[in-house]
Amino acid sequence: MTDWFIAIMLLGVLVAGGPWFVAVIDAAVGHVVAGTMASIGGVATFPLRRGARLISQETTRTERPDVGGWALAPALLAGLAVLALALVPFGPGLVVADPSTGFVVYSAAVAFVMIAVFLHGWSPNSVFALHGAYRYGAVALSFQIPFLLAMLATALPAESLSIVEIVKAQESAWNVIRQPLGLPIYLVVGLAVSFWGPLNLPDGRDLAGGTSVEDAGVQRLLWELARLLMLVAVAAMGAAGFLGGWWGPILPGPVWMLLKTGLLIAILASTRHLFARYRIEPFVERCWVVLIPLALLNIFVSGVTLL
Amino acid sequence: MIPQPLIDALFVVFSIGALVTGYRVFRTDSMVRAAFYLLASFAAVGGILVLLGAEFLGMVLILMMAGEMLVMAIMMVMYMMNPAGLNPMWMVHQHRRAVVGGVGSFVVLVGAILLTDFPSASRPPNLAVTEQLGIELLGDSMLVFQTAGVALLATMIGVVVLASQRGRFGSAEDGSAEPPLQPDEEPA
Repeated sequence: MTDWFIAIMLLGVLVAGGPWFVAVIDAAVGHVVAGTMASIGGVATFPLRRGARLISQETTRTERPDVGGWALAPALLAGLAVLALALVPFGPGLVVADPSTGFVVYSAAVAFVMIAVFLHGWSPNSVFALHGAYRYGAVALSFQIPFLLAMLATALPAESLSIVEIVKAQESAWNVIRQPLGLPIYLVVGLAVSFWGPLNLPDGRDLAGGTSVEDAGVQRLLWELARLLMLVAVAAMGAAGFLGGWWGPILPGPVWMLLKTGLLIAILASTRHLFARYRIEPFVERCWVVLIPLALLNIFVSGVTLL
Repeated sequence: MIPQPLIDALFVVFSIGALVTGYRVFRTDSMVRAAFYLLASFAAVGGILVLLGAEFLGMVLILMMAGEMLVMAIMMVMYMMNPAGLNPMWMVHQHRRAVVGGVGSFVVLVGAILLTDFPSASRPPNLAVTEQLGIELLGDSMLVFQTAGVALLATMIGVVVLASQRGRFGSAEDGSAEPPLQPDEEPA
C-alpha cells in the first residue's frame, strides 16, 4: 500500500512538474535558436508568468457556443493524459494502476484525444476552430494506426498487454535496441497525438490558432496545460515502452524513469523551434504509405526474432 | 481486489449513465451532440463489460467507439444544411412509426431478457480472460475472424484509395489538375 502512495506522489510530480518542464525546454530552445539572451531564472519562471498573465485576462465568448462542450474539452484532454500517466510504472510495484489490458487502456485514451480536440474546436461555433477540429479528425484516423502498431510491438517480447510486464521484459535489452524502428515511429506520431511543433495541425498558426482561436484567459490556460500534459504522457509512455522504464545502473528505478521521461520530453518539445510545420496532405499520405508499412515490418521482425 | 459493494455501486452508476445519455441522444437538438451522447452511452456500456470481467472487450468497445462516433459526427455534419451542427434541429422523424418501432423493440428485448436462462455460476478467480479470448480468436475460430479481418482491411484500403484525391493527373498536393489543352489535341 505504501508503494501505491509513492506511485501516486510520483504521478503528482509528473502532472505538476511535467508541463512546466515542457514549457521551460520550449522557451530555452526558442532562445537558443533565435540567438537571444535570457537569464536562467527568466526562462525557469516563464511558464509561471505566462500562466499569471492568462489568469488575469478576460475570457471571451462567441455567438451560440456549446458552453458545456467548450468547458469539458480541456478537462477531458487533461484527464486522458493523467489516465495514461497512471498506467506508467515508476519502479517494480510502483504503479498507480496495472490492468492486464494496460496497452488497450492507453489506446483508448489516445483515441479519446480525438474527441477532446474535436469537441474543443466544434463547441465555440467559429470557422477556424471548426477547421482545426476537422483537421485533427482527418489526421488522427491516419496516425493512430502506426502509433498503436509501434506501441503494440513492445507487447510481443513481454507476451502481455500490461505496461508493467512490458517494462519487466526489457531487463536484458531495451526495446529501443530490440526494435530500432519502434521509438522513431512512436516519437514522430507522438508529436501528432499531442499536436505539438511540426505536427501542430489542429492548433496551428496557419489557422490563426485553430481549435483554440476563440480561447482567452483561463480557458486558454487550461487548454495549454492539458496539451502540455498530453505531451508528458506520450513521453512517459515512450520511456516505459522503449527506453526500459525503471531499468538502469546505480540510480534507483524512479529516478531513471523520470530521467528517461525528461529526455523524451526534451526531444519532443525542442522540435517546435527546430522543424518547420509539416503540411497536412503529405503527412496523411506518409502515414499510410510509409509509417504503417514500417510499423508492420517492425512487428513482423520482432515477432520473427522471438520465435 | 475491488470490494463487491463498490462494483455494485459502479454498475448502478454506469447503467444510469448509459440510459440517461442514450435517452439524450434523441432529445438533443444537434447531430454532433447526439453522436457524443451516444459515445458516452457506449463508454458506460464498456465500463459495465469491464465490471463483468471482460476487460479486453470492454476497453476495445470504448476504444473503437471513439473513432466511430467522430467519423459519424463528421459525416453527419457533412450531409447537413447547417454546416457546424450547432443550429437547433429535430432529431426524430416519422413520430408515429418511431413510437411503434421503439415500443415494439423494447417489448421484444425485455421478453428476450426475461425468457433467457442466464448462467449464474460465478467467475473463477484469476481467470485469464484476455488469453482465452486470444486463443479463441486465433484457434478454432481463426478462419472466420481472419477472413473478416482481411475483408475489412481491403475495404479500408479501397475507401482510402477512393477518397484520396490522387487522380490520373497526379497527387492532390500537386494540384491533381487536368493539363491545359494544346492546339490540335484530343480532349483528355
